[in-house]
Amino acid sequence: MDDSRPIFLQIAEQLENDIISGALPEETQVPSTNELAAYLRINPATAGKGVNLLVDQGILYKKRGIGMFVADGARARLVAQRRDQFRQQYLAPLLAEAEKLGITPGQLADMIRTEAHS
Amino acid sequence: MTTMTAVSAPRSAPSRVWRIVRLITANPTTTVVLPWAILGTIFLLNWLIWLLIFANVGAEGMTDAQEGIQWSGAAFYIFVYMLVLAVQAINLSFPLALGYGSTRREFSLGAGLTFVLLAAMYAVGMTVGAALENATGGWGLGGTFFRTIYFGGDQPWYLQLWIYFCWFLFFFFTGTIFASVYVRWKALGLIATFAVVGLAAVGVIALLTLSESWNMVWETIAHLGVVGSVSVLLIPSAVSALLGYLLLRRATTRG
Amino acid sequence: MTAVVEVAGLSKHYGGERGSRVHAVTDAGFALEENRIHGLLGRNGAGKTTLMQLLTGQEFASSGEIRVFGQNPVENAKVLDRVCFIKESQRYPDDFRVKHVLATAPRFFADWDEDFADELVERFRVPVGRRMKKLSRGQLSAVGVIVGLASRAPLTFFDEPYLGLDAVARRLFYDTLLADFAEHPRTVVLSTHLIDEVSNLLEHVLVIDEGRIIIDADADELRGSAVDVVGPRGAVEAFTSDREVLHRTGLGGLASATVAGLDEAGRTAARDAGLELAAVSLQQLVIRTTIGESVDPTKGTPE
Repeated sequence: MDDSRPIFLQIAEQLENDIISGALPEETQVPSTNELAAYLRINPATAGKGVNLLVDQGILYKKRGIGMFVADGARARLVAQRRDQFRQQYLAPLLAEAEKLGITPGQLADMIRTEAHS
Repeated sequence: MTTMTAVSAPRSAPSRVWRIVRLITANPTTTVVLPWAILGTIFLLNWLIWLLIFANVGAEGMTDAQEGIQWSGAAFYIFVYMLVLAVQAINLSFPLALGYGSTRREFSLGAGLTFVLLAAMYAVGMTVGAALENATGGWGLGGTFFRTIYFGGDQPWYLQLWIYFCWFLFFFFTGTIFASVYVRWKALGLIATFAVVGLAAVGVIALLTLSESWNMVWETIAHLGVVGSVSVLLIPSAVSALLGYLLLRRATTRG
Repeated sequence: MTAVVEVAGLSKHYGGERGSRVHAVTDAGFALEENRIHGLLGRNGAGKTTLMQLLTGQEFASSGEIRVFGQNPVENAKVLDRVCFIKESQRYPDDFRVKHVLATAPRFFADWDEDFADELVERFRVPVGRRMKKLSRGQLSAVGVIVGLASRAPLTFFDEPYLGLDAVARRLFYDTLLADFAEHPRTVVLSTHLIDEVSNLLEHVLVIDEGRIIIDADADELRGSAVDVVGPRGAVEAFTSDREVLHRTGLGGLASATVAGLDEAGRTAARDAGLELAAVSLQQLVIRTTIGESVDPTKGTPE
C-alpha cells in the first residue's frame, strides 16, 4: 500500500474506517463536502468525489436539502468487504511468504494463536 | 456540482474611468495637501523677504523693487510639482490599474480627466490668491506672488483663471508624455526622447536665429497677448495627451 | 463544464533578432475549467508570470489565440472586469499606504466583500497605516492575498502568494482560500514552485518549463501516475526495461526508478519481483519531469 493513490480514494477509505469503527453510526449525518475539505485541507471537489464514491456504493445516501447520511446496514456491508480485502491483501502474501520459509498452514495457525495470546 | 458564480452587473463606462481618478488621487496628501502647504510656505518666505527688501531700499527704490518682483518665479514651483505628479501618477498607477483589471484606454482617459480636474482646482486656488493679492494691495507690501508677468499680471478674474488653467494643463501633459515614454520603453526610450526633443529645440532656435526671425516670434506673442499665448499651449498639451494614450495603448507592466 | 480560459498555439517572445530572442512562452495550448482551483507550477523563470500576464491582457501575444470568458482579454473591459491578478512583483504608487490599496480596490471588483477584507487584514496582521514601500516581503504578499481573496473575482490569479509569509500565515492563506472557495466557487489559478504545500488544494495542474506546458492533467490523475520502484539494481533494470522511466538514481547495488503509469497489475508485478514501491509526490514528479527530457507521465495510465 502506498499513498500515491488519488486523494478521493483516501477520503472514501477514511469515511469507511469511521463507519466501521462506529465513529459514524448508521443513520447519522456525515460532514459536508466543504467541512471535509476545510478539515483535511483538500480541494472541495476532491472531497466531493470521495463522498460520491460511497454514495454510488450505497454506503451513504443523500437527504435532499439536509446532507449526507450513513445508510442502514452500511457497516455490515463494509465489514464484509474489508474481510474480503483482508484475505487478499494480508492472507495471500502471508501464505506465500510462509511457503517460502517452509512453514505449513498448520504451523502458521499455531503461530498466530500463540501470538494472539501473548 | 454546478454552482454558478454570482455575476454582478458590469460597471458602467463612466464609473470605470472615474475609478482611475480615485486611484490616482487616493492619497490626497500628495495631490492636494502637500502642494498647497509648500506653496503657502514659499509665499510666507517671500513675504518676509519683501519686508526685508522694502525696509532697506527706502522710498526711492520702492517702485523699482516692486517692478522687479513682478518677474518673481516663486509660484512656478507648483507647476513643476504638477509635472512630477503627472509622471508619478502615470508610471506607478498604470501597473496597479492593470492589475485591478482596467484597460489601458480607461486608464489614459482617467489620468487625463484627473489632470484636467486638478488643473481646474489649482487654477481656482491661484485665481483666489491673485484676487486677494489685488484686494490687499499686494499683501500690504505691494508685492507680487500670484500676479506675476507670466500669468498676465493684472487681469479680470476669468482671464486669470484661464491663464492658470492653461499653464497647469501644459505641465500636467508634459509630464504625461515623458512618463508614457518611460512606461513604454523605459530609460532608453526616455533618453532617446530627450535627445530628440533637445535636438529639435536646438534646431528651431538655430533656424530662428539664422533667419533672423526672433522679432517675428516676439511680435506674434505680443500680438496674441498673454491670453492668446497661453491658449496656444493647449495645442502641445492636447498632442501630448493623445501621444501619451497611443504610447500606453501598447505598453506592458513589465519591469 | 465550461472553460473560462482557452488557449491555443500561444507564444510570446521578446527581442527581434533571431539569436537574442527570448522565448517566454512557446506554443502553449490548454483550457481552464470554471470554478476549479488550478495550479500553475514550474520553476522560477519558467514562464508562469508571462503566461498570466498574457491571460490578463497585460502582455501582448506574439502569436496564438487566447479566450477568457470566451473573448480576447486584451483591452476588453467585459473580460477584465471579472479578473483579478495582483502580481508577486506588483508595484504600487509611492504615496500608497495599505489603507489606500484597500480603499481603491473595491471600485475595481464588483463582488468585493468589505467585511471579509477587514477580517483578513486582522487575521494576517497587516499594518493598515504603513506605506506599501515600507512593508516586509511577507506583508506585501499578504496585501496581494487579501485583495485576491476579497475581490471574489470570477477569475482570480495568485502569483507566488506565499513569498515571505511564515508557516502560520501560509496555512492561514490555504485554509481561507479553501473555505471561501467552497462558499463562493470561482476559478482560481495558483502559481507556485512550492508544490507540496498546495498539491492537495488543486484540482487541475499545469506544469510549465522553459515556456512549454509539459503537464496538463487533473491532480488526482497525476497523483497516481508515477511511483518510485526501489530495489537491487538488476531487478529494477529488469522491471523497467519495457516501461517508461522519468528518472533514475542509484547507490551502489541499489537503484531507484520513477516509473510512469504503473497500473495495479504492474504494482503487483513489482512487489512479486521483490521491489519496493514508494509514493511520488506531485513536487517530486514535477522536479523529475522538469530536469530530464519531457515525458508525459500520464501516458499509459489505465482508463
